[in-house]
Amino acid sequence: MLKGLGNVVVKEVKELVRDPKILIGMIIIPLLLFPLMGLAVRISTESAVESAKKISVGVMNQDVRGNFSLDLIDFLRMSSITVVNIETTNETEAVKLVQESNMTAFIIIPADFSYNITNDLGAKLKVYVVFRGTGFAESAGSTTITTLVDAFGKIIALEKVGQNPNMLNPISLLQQSIVKGRVVAVTPSVLFGLVMSQYIGMPIGIMMLTVFAMQIAATSVASEKEEKTLETLLTMPTSRFNILVGKLAGSVIVAAVGALAYVIGFNYYMGSFTAAFPTQAGVDLATLGLAPTMLSFIVLGASLFVTLVSALALAIVISSFAEDVRSAQTTVGYLYFLLFIPMFFTMYSDIGSLPMSLRIILLAIPYTHPMLAARAAFTEDYTTAVFGIAYVSIFTVVVLYIAAKIFTTEKILTMKLRLRRRRPKREE
Amino acid sequence: MEWAVEANNLTKLFGDIRALDGMSFKVEEGEIFGLIGPNGAGKTTALRIVSALILPTSGSVVIFGRDVVREASEIRKLISYLPEEAGAYKNLSGFEYLQFMGRFSSENKEDLNEKVADAVEISGLGDRLKDKVKTYSKGMKRRLLVARALMTKPKLCVLDEPTSGLDVLHSYHVRNIIKEYVQKHDVTVLLSSHNMLEVEYLCERVALINRGKIVAEGSPTELKTKYKATNLEEVFAEVAGLA
Repeated sequence: MLKGLGNVVVKEVKELVRDPKILIGMIIIPLLLFPLMGLAVRISTESAVESAKKISVGVMNQDVRGNFSLDLIDFLRMSSITVVNIETTNETEAVKLVQESNMTAFIIIPADFSYNITNDLGAKLKVYVVFRGTGFAESAGSTTITTLVDAFGKIIALEKVGQNPNMLNPISLLQQSIVKGRVVAVTPSVLFGLVMSQYIGMPIGIMMLTVFAMQIAATSVASEKEEKTLETLLTMPTSRFNILVGKLAGSVIVAAVGALAYVIGFNYYMGSFTAAFPTQAGVDLATLGLAPTMLSFIVLGASLFVTLVSALALAIVISSFAEDVRSAQTTVGYLYFLLFIPMFFTMYSDIGSLPMSLRIILLAIPYTHPMLAARAAFTEDYTTAVFGIAYVSIFTVVVLYIAAKIFTTEKILTMKLRLRRRRPKREE
Repeated sequence: MEWAVEANNLTKLFGDIRALDGMSFKVEEGEIFGLIGPNGAGKTTALRIVSALILPTSGSVVIFGRDVVREASEIRKLISYLPEEAGAYKNLSGFEYLQFMGRFSSENKEDLNEKVADAVEISGLGDRLKDKVKTYSKGMKRRLLVARALMTKPKLCVLDEPTSGLDVLHSYHVRNIIKEYVQKHDVTVLLSSHNMLEVEYLCERVALINRGKIVAEGSPTELKTKYKATNLEEVFAEVAGLA
């Protein structure tokens, strides 16, 4: 039969999961929000691809007798572009006309276009792209026109140089990457994009998990005070340490479920991007040695665990001062900057390349370490990760000691902090 | 003779505030002893010290021969405490709440089932125990909490304002529960109240507290005779110098 610690853990999990605020905010919303966001990305990219196929371009051809201008118009038409002939010769009027229509762009072929090409003088095309602020479709339309004009230019060039493509590209690059001492035939930019797209979620995930757990732990202690159940619980024949550890364990379990919901949702969201932009497919991180190994999982798991316990203990210490749930959550919220700062630094920079003072500050924040441990899979810098685990463990022991001290003394009942908005006095 | 509770010269300071100022009283085994006094007199502080929740600044409390400061974990096995403003976990059902609280002091499943069955009977809440606590009225919640406090058959039951905030019917029910239970199971009860009628009905002996000190002690009849009063309210007014 569950007694003491087990009894507290089961009760904590039941209470927390049945709390609508926690169930909806921390489990259901991440499960629904990310897939919905992913769906939005998928729908908008698909519609962008569709609308790119239906690009309509206005052309003001001032080179009416030139062959190249007519060839360009034919080339655009053959590439499924709807070409609308702009009758007017007034540029301002034409711009107004294009703006009011649904045309993506407007091209002016100058009178000397064919002449300049024929005589190798370099022809110019004036292209106006209408900016309507409608997202992907617009940028796709503009890119399509640029690509087609480039392709047309190449065709002309090939005709001029006698069909030998090497004349156009005398030097071509064969880019390869060196990954952990191994040469792989993938360009560094593709590799970087792939690693980033798959692992940018890691610091965000760690940050979210810690925030969940801290909110849950703060709620768990403060609601005992708010609902006036703590006093009774503390007179039960079980050690106060059991109550503290039970609360920690209950919060970790619920936070883990929340994090799982978050990871499932986030995965779907990231999947929507790869489905929409499949250019990097075909590169397998595992075969390149860039996928997390068992060792990196163990290091990350250990780092995450000690950090979570310290964050929970810290949340419990802080929420012990609060008299109600709202005050506890607000006070714990002040600690979030300690999570956001390392998250942004680890996402966008290499800590090793930062100035020494900034590096020391970042390493002193316990929440930086699991984010660094997450990178160990790529950097193989396990020394920093293991040092981080040791550092966070010491920090955790200190915070747990303080939490246990508060729980085992009357301070848990007598410490008070209430955040209330000041209300203006009612006039009598 | 071994006393159920023996409080000697208790003092408690909260910063500059002297909540208890040399309070002493003794409770016999099997009796219902009441601490009476106005709000802020020090009743709750005294009961919290007896329940090993807070420490006295000076003085001592011994419960069935055990010191509340030095043997706090042993004391928790002997007592059951019902705070004045107690609540129950709103997302658990009444039944789950009783099971959760019962598990701490149960040896095995049979023992737990027996305790919970007792609590079900004491509370008189019937099928409503299957509902979540957040759907309960104040009176129902208090009945659940009183049942929780009594179900473990503690050697000493500490009840802080057991009928606090209840209407006449619920107060009547709760008072009867306590009286019947004590007679049936030979439990010692230390309770506090500012309801003098309640105390006269329930308690064999009472101590009147004012500003952290005991100003009179004895059975309600003795006190009324001594101060030539018709009820304890008049006794209190007399001893507190309000008459």
